[in-house]
Amino acid sequence: MRINLQPAYILHSRPWRDSSLLLELFTAEHGRLSLVGKGARRRSRGGSNASLLQAFSPLLVSFSGRSEMKQLTAVEAAAPPLALAGECLFSGLYLNELLVRLLHRHDPHPGLFACYGETLESLARATDVSASLRRFEFTLLEVLGYHFDPAIDGHAGTPVLADGWYQYQAEYGLVKCQRQHAGPAPVFSGADLLAIAAGEYRGAQATAAKRLLREALASHLGDRPLHSRELFRQFRGSGRPA
Amino acid sequence: MKFSPSLTNLIEALRCLPGVGPKSAQRMTLHLLERDREGAMALASALETAVARIDHCSLCRNFTELDICEICSDTRRDRQVICVLETPADVLAVELSGSYRGLYFVLMGHLSPIDGIGPREIGLDKFRDRVLEEGIAEVILATNPTVEGEATAYYLTDMLLPRGIKVSRIAHGVPLGGELEYVDGNTLAHAFTGRRQLLQEQ
Repeated sequence: MRINLQPAYILHSRPWRDSSLLLELFTAEHGRLSLVGKGARRRSRGGSNASLLQAFSPLLVSFSGRSEMKQLTAVEAAAPPLALAGECLFSGLYLNELLVRLLHRHDPHPGLFACYGETLESLARATDVSASLRRFEFTLLEVLGYHFDPAIDGHAGTPVLADGWYQYQAEYGLVKCQRQHAGPAPVFSGADLLAIAAGEYRGAQATAAKRLLREALASHLGDRPLHSRELFRQFRGSGRPA
Repeated sequence: MKFSPSLTNLIEALRCLPGVGPKSAQRMTLHLLERDREGAMALASALETAVARIDHCSLCRNFTELDICEICSDTRRDRQVICVLETPADVLAVELSGSYRGLYFVLMGHLSPIDGIGPREIGLDKFRDRVLEEGIAEVILATNPTVEGEATAYYLTDMLLPRGIKVSRIAHGVPLGGELEYVDGNTLAHAFTGRRQLLQEQ
């Protein structure tokens, strides 16, 4: 099988043997893939492919091979790399960890691929960051088949009431609850949920949307926590004098 | 044909080396046993002493047999400057260039959430304490210009700048003897953003 000039992003790479790289890619039409970049770290006149094979740069990759692990045959830049700085760089690492953890190999998701590109662009501009992260998380849940509607009570099938309180449950989505008997799981106000369903993730709803999606993703991530989230938390805390 | 148990054992053991598969491991084993038994004994004892004696330097985390490595205990070096690097091989490269006379701190990796490597795993909390305690004047960040290396550099910058420590990043750009025509776009873009103004006196 030979695939030419497939739009792709690198999610993760690690050195392999003396001069090669093991690459984890997210491609437009072939989903998440593993490739071997033979000799990708080898020194060549004035630079090598290694400078192209970085996360967050839009690439066109060609690869071939019959086995699960394909070989990278050519790579070129589709656009200049997106320069993520500071907190946005850590958010980018979070996106990559989510994709590596939740996507199955060879499962094409063109919609998610486009959304990933848009999210990276807003991270590079450092504008509208949290809203675009939330949009990405919703899209990711949707393509994985874990879609839920924040405006519908998953148990009763009725619309969420603005003055009610709700909890997230993996099987049903949002379920009505008593605010004081909620236990340790986070509780969401109906008004916030309606705003989130209308695509409003800014201002007062920002924290609620973040907590809701964290809950929704946590049930699919299993027991292992996301390292990038921990890293982000420590990054925010590191600047403050101890 | 089946090899004897200790022979199979040796083949299996050699496979822990990077880039050595079953075939190469078998070739190495047969060579050592057939042709170079002395070399095999030397290898065995060298491995044993190295593993037993070599540990991380308590200051810079580089490999050493002493509690504090030779570079860290050298009084002729500039003790006001620390250069942060990813691997011991990087230390060797910088030392060979002969352009730096300060101290080092070796991370033994870089921040990489997908591999589960966080600030604690690469000793950043210890590093912060050391920089504050010893009153270091400047920290030079020489992590690799990869996404993970940049993330590590950002993390360190954010950790040290608010505490009033001077932080600098090594330059990225066109290699010496290179030709612009053959330099890739990303590197060229870096070279342009990191350009330097020329002054009359220099």
